[in-house]
Amino acid sequence: MQMIEVQNLTKRYRDRVAIDHLTFSVNQGEILGFLGPNGAGKTTTMKILAGYLPASKGTAKVAGFDVFEQPMEVKRRIGYLPEVPPLYPELTVRGYLRLVATLKGVERDRLGGEIDRVASLTGTSQVMDRVIQNLSKGFRQRVGVAQALLNSPPVLILDEPTEGLDPTQRAEVRALIRSLAGKHTVILSTHILPEVTMTCEKVLIIHQGKIVAFDEIKNLAQAYGAGEQVSLEEIFIKLTAA
Amino acid sequence: MRNILAIARKELSIYFTKPWAYIVFATMVLVSSFFFVASLQSFKQVQELARAFTWARLPPEYAAFKNLTDGVVVQLWSVVRIVTLFVAPFLAMRLFAEEKRQKTFELMMTLPVRPVELVLGKYLGGLGIITATLGLTILFPAAISIFGRSESGSALEWSTVLLGYGGLLLWGATCMAVGMFISSLTESQMLAALLTFAILLPWMLLRGVGQGAEEPLRSIINYLSFDAQLEDMTKGVLNLKSLVFFASVIFFFVVLTQRSVEAQRWA
Repeated sequence: MQMIEVQNLTKRYRDRVAIDHLTFSVNQGEILGFLGPNGAGKTTTMKILAGYLPASKGTAKVAGFDVFEQPMEVKRRIGYLPEVPPLYPELTVRGYLRLVATLKGVERDRLGGEIDRVASLTGTSQVMDRVIQNLSKGFRQRVGVAQALLNSPPVLILDEPTEGLDPTQRAEVRALIRSLAGKHTVILSTHILPEVTMTCEKVLIIHQGKIVAFDEIKNLAQAYGAGEQVSLEEIFIKLTAA
Repeated sequence: MRNILAIARKELSIYFTKPWAYIVFATMVLVSSFFFVASLQSFKQVQELARAFTWARLPPEYAAFKNLTDGVVVQLWSVVRIVTLFVAPFLAMRLFAEEKRQKTFELMMTLPVRPVELVLGKYLGGLGIITATLGLTILFPAAISIFGRSESGSALEWSTVLLGYGGLLLWGATCMAVGMFISSLTESQMLAALLTFAILLPWMLLRGVGQGAEEPLRSIINYLSFDAQLEDMTKGVLNLKSLVFFASVIFFFVVLTQRSVEAQRWA
């Protein structure tokens, strides 16, 4: 079953085309690596999928619901981590997660358990009672991920979830995302290519708003390597050089 | 409803971590206590004059000083009204502008929360903080009622005091509704506060403009002026027309805010 279906998705900002007729889909339980140079349109695509931005043309469906026609149905089924983790600096981590969990519809008697669950998944248990503005960048990022995981949404949209983390934390988040495969459908954007090789099977590479590759990593390696060992990085550079 | 309350609770708890809120509280208390003491002194002076010359021989405008309710509390309420006009924009400014600047607006818009719930939750939080600010001023009539004495027994006529206070709350709620709407239009809190003030102040002073106008324009301007609508209430007269007026202004700006939040989805 396709959990994310995007057809001819186009977004224009006045005179600039941010994304141009994107068509792709993600099957249930898959983790899709979403790649592209800065300004390629990754964040725009993710904002549209999350229901924050309207598209200029085309359709996007999440779990079978159109993001623009049935936004509430879509919002109930996604966990979204924007590029900048959306945190209230004045709240404690627990207070913040409690707010998000409540707004996601987690029942009162499940709140505590659900918050503890995502805290232990993201390694934020030890900072639960600290005020967010006093946290390091790495912890803030992880609280952002924790927020997206609340209420186990079937679809996760993660815009650079490992940004600002040190190598150890990065490996942890990577392992966490890998462990989500199967249960959740994940679309994950990142700059760090080896990370994609380690977490995703399939990649979508966009450049100047257009899809330049959408395939499994091993197929891409075959197509571009011509029999030789070729890294995703080399493929990426080749495809986005123009 | 649960979403509205959760958002209101968040707004209130954030307010109490902000220096702004405490600056507003302090301003409210300082300015009102200054005027409170001043009007107590004038009250005392007029009372002494009346004792020496009898009320009949004093100018008619001194009649308000016959009792503490009209002589002190009603005067105080008109000062609090002005202070509210100055401080409410600084309380309302963060409601949406801050969310936009710190990018949490994106979170709110991608959670299963309807725009109307977001707006009502925020407005409820805003009402909470303005009620807390105005609540501090109830100390003054309370002090009079504890320490004051009059020939008729109780120093204050509490029905007048509370009705006036209700008028103040309504006024505060109106300022917050206007401020919330302006805040939903910008990312800059300072700009939101200044614009709110720029709307509220002329609206408050509309009556002065109306004085020179011809009928029926004059009555219309008078009806639309905050000042004229508040006058009766601060004197303790329950006026249904004013109640409807303020409720309509609040409703109008809450709906405008909801529209403005909804519109961001189309941007």
